[in-house]
Amino acid sequence: MVQINLPPNSKVLQGDYYKDKTGSKNIRKVNIYRWDPSKNENPRIDTYEVDMDNCSSKVLDILNKIKNEIDPSIAYRRSCSHGVCGSCAMNMNGKNGLACTKSHSELEGDINIYPLPHLKVLKDLIGDLSTLYKQYESIEPWLKSSNKNNETENLQSIEDREKLDGLYECIMCACCSTSCPSYWWNGEKYLGPAVLLQAYRWIIDSRDEERKERLQKVADELKLYRCHTILNCTNACPKDLNPAKAIAEIKKMLATT
Amino acid sequence: MDNNNPLSPHIQIYSWHISSLVSISHRITGIINILVITLICLWVASLLLGETNYEIIKFFLKSFFGKFLVIGIIWSFSFQILAEIRHLLMDLGYGFELRTSKISGLMVIFGSFILTVFIYIIGS
Repeated sequence: MVQINLPPNSKVLQGDYYKDKTGSKNIRKVNIYRWDPSKNENPRIDTYEVDMDNCSSKVLDILNKIKNEIDPSIAYRRSCSHGVCGSCAMNMNGKNGLACTKSHSELEGDINIYPLPHLKVLKDLIGDLSTLYKQYESIEPWLKSSNKNNETENLQSIEDREKLDGLYECIMCACCSTSCPSYWWNGEKYLGPAVLLQAYRWIIDSRDEERKERLQKVADELKLYRCHTILNCTNACPKDLNPAKAIAEIKKMLATT
Repeated sequence: MDNNNPLSPHIQIYSWHISSLVSISHRITGIINILVITLICLWVASLLLGETNYEIIKFFLKSFFGKFLVIGIIWSFSFQILAEIRHLLMDLGYGFELRTSKISGLMVIFGSFILTVFIYIIGS
């Protein structure tokens, strides 16, 4: 269902203002979405004044600085801080990305940080991705082969291997799926760019023997064809992959086989 | 999921770019075009009822508001046609690179205005 407005319990209110205490001249305002599941309150935007003279270059550094020096109660996911694990995916100044690879010098004006869009919030910047993981499971993301010979390698030509470039690099951070308006309105049924890119990764793998079954499985009005080439996904991908192109390739394969 | 956790903001905060703007405008002009085609059919049907109907519609279309409406309709059609061509090319698998999609999107936007002027001049 297309629901443009947020439900009443999700309306965002003005929160607290944390004034700078360091006396720094290089101050930047950072607005962060906060919601505490232990209190029966609406989400709010807290504003922090951050001393940028003593802050490293990425948005995640700002969050760490706030958590360490200003407000330890703030919650967000992070792990590798090198753009490999995909934990710190969030919405920064209106665009999804990884906080650990996004330089704050690229963002203009005050910095606005929200959780990934259109998810149930668990706490502060942490959204619930369980629907996406279930959909990922549904495409059976593993190699299906009748070759039970464990003694030798399962070889692939260089050309066949190259077909996986731009697909295997996906870290499943969900930046693309949660940037997609189609996924916002039909997230329960439409698989979304992240899962469809993974589906294509197994469809195109020369070693996989169930290409036909995989194609038939995604060939569904809602699962696949809700992609309307809005290209928010490709714009959002922090690994510079192209989920929209992968979805188009699946559509093309279905139309030509 | 039926829990009481809030839904994170989506369309309220997400920034627009060329491709998403073209996509939403394509939908809006599509709806407008359906209404307009219905209107044109009704107008053509009303001609069967006699000359006075024709005169009334002609008078309306010659007025300032009528001209504004005609130009709006021409733009809506122009935009729809160009965006549709872009869609067709994408269905063939072309134009998914960020740079290409941005350029093709801008071509649709500016092209729709050029096509509008072109069609209006030919029509009048």
